[in-house]
Amino acid sequence: MVATDEELVARSMDGDVDSFNQLVLRWERPIYALAYRVIGRDEDARDVAQETFLRAFRALPGFKGQAKFSSWLYRIALNLCRDWIRRKKRTPVVDMPEGVDVIELAAEQGPVESIEDLVARQEMSRIVAEGMKLLPDEQRTAIVLKEYHGLTFQEIADLQGCPLSTVKTRLYQGLTVLRRHLESQGMTTYESGKS
Amino acid sequence: MSTPFSCDDKQTLISYMYGEVDAAVRADVDAHLSTCAPCAAEVTALGDVRGELGLWVPPDVELDFTIVKKSQLPPAPVLRPAQWWRTVPAWAQAAAAVLVIAAGAGLANLQVRSGPDGFSVSTGWLTPVLSEPFDGEAIERRVEGRVEGRVEGRVEQALVALEQQLRSEMQQARALQAVPAAATPVDEATIRRVQQMLAASEQRQARELALRLTQFTRDMNLQRRADLQRITQSFGQFDEQIFRQRQMLNNVIRVSGVPQQ
Repeated sequence: MVATDEELVARSMDGDVDSFNQLVLRWERPIYALAYRVIGRDEDARDVAQETFLRAFRALPGFKGQAKFSSWLYRIALNLCRDWIRRKKRTPVVDMPEGVDVIELAAEQGPVESIEDLVARQEMSRIVAEGMKLLPDEQRTAIVLKEYHGLTFQEIADLQGCPLSTVKTRLYQGLTVLRRHLESQGMTTYESGKS
Repeated sequence: MSTPFSCDDKQTLISYMYGEVDAAVRADVDAHLSTCAPCAAEVTALGDVRGELGLWVPPDVELDFTIVKKSQLPPAPVLRPAQWWRTVPAWAQAAAAVLVIAAGAGLANLQVRSGPDGFSVSTGWLTPVLSEPFDGEAIERRVEGRVEGRVEGRVEQALVALEQQLRSEMQQARALQAVPAAATPVDEATIRRVQQMLAASEQRQARELALRLTQFTRDMNLQRRADLQRITQSFGQFDEQIFRQRQMLNNVIRVSGVPQQ
């Protein structure tokens, strides 16, 4: 039977490093993905993810379990991302990573996709990444947490330290900016909003 | 009773889109969307945007973060400048030190004498002029000196032999140091992993190359199509010009054919 996060946290707090490493294994990819989508650089996202787990390990005795372990990790990771953005004093670069293997991605979905389709998909991915780059940090983070990590509005509000209504506004404004960007790139086929 | 949904209520619209509304609000928004085309279109459009967001995938990197206790860590390698004497055994170093001291004493002509006045130590090659009359004690001391000289000769021979032995051992130590690292045991799992990583990297590069080639071909085709279109447009312009010139000529002919009054 797979141990829950809470059980692993309890064992880790008793000094069981292996239990903590199980938590790391479980959460390293979501945390890396979060960092990557917020700051947009592979190497830096990796550093942020690694630092997140180090800090979590050191701060584990102070973790009282009021929040979920994952929310706690997200909070540490987001703080580190914020520090990174502040330190670099620049907007995140959301380039299409060299390492993205659209071919492998397509292979998971089926063998019928041609290389032309793959190229088109890579192009669309690049356009989406560019659109995300246009957004202010708060809007981008809200969209990332909602769309890619499935957090509730309340969880996002807690992480971002803002009211629930602000989270909803950020999401609406962010999605609207993205919509305009995608339309300008000819990525959407609908005629909505033009009437 | 809550107020009915209006077009400006974007927060409720977002909650509706993400399914975080209760049944009553959902029904209210549904009813509004069935009658309001702009709001319905906006919901569809934003839903499409959400669908496109799924295309943005982070790179598939190997992370493998692991927390390791300090006690489990191997001692960190400390880089030091090459110190050849570290390869020489301690006893050999001590012997070398004795050799150096003895050589130094020989060079400085160190002389230690014991007499009725106690021990006396002197250095240097200049022997003091004997102002005192020749006596038995002086002869005795010279005899002792000769004996000491013979002993010193034997010590020198021993030291030379020791020096040769030291040199040969140092050469052996250097030769051992020069043995390639292949002699050290290597973790086979690490080698396998490196080989796997290399193979994966090669595959990725090959795929990347295929992708780039396709992109290049596609760009070329697009460029070709654009060029053809431009050429067709140019031909169209020529045709138009020729048509206009013909019209002009016709007009000229027509005008020239009319008799002037």
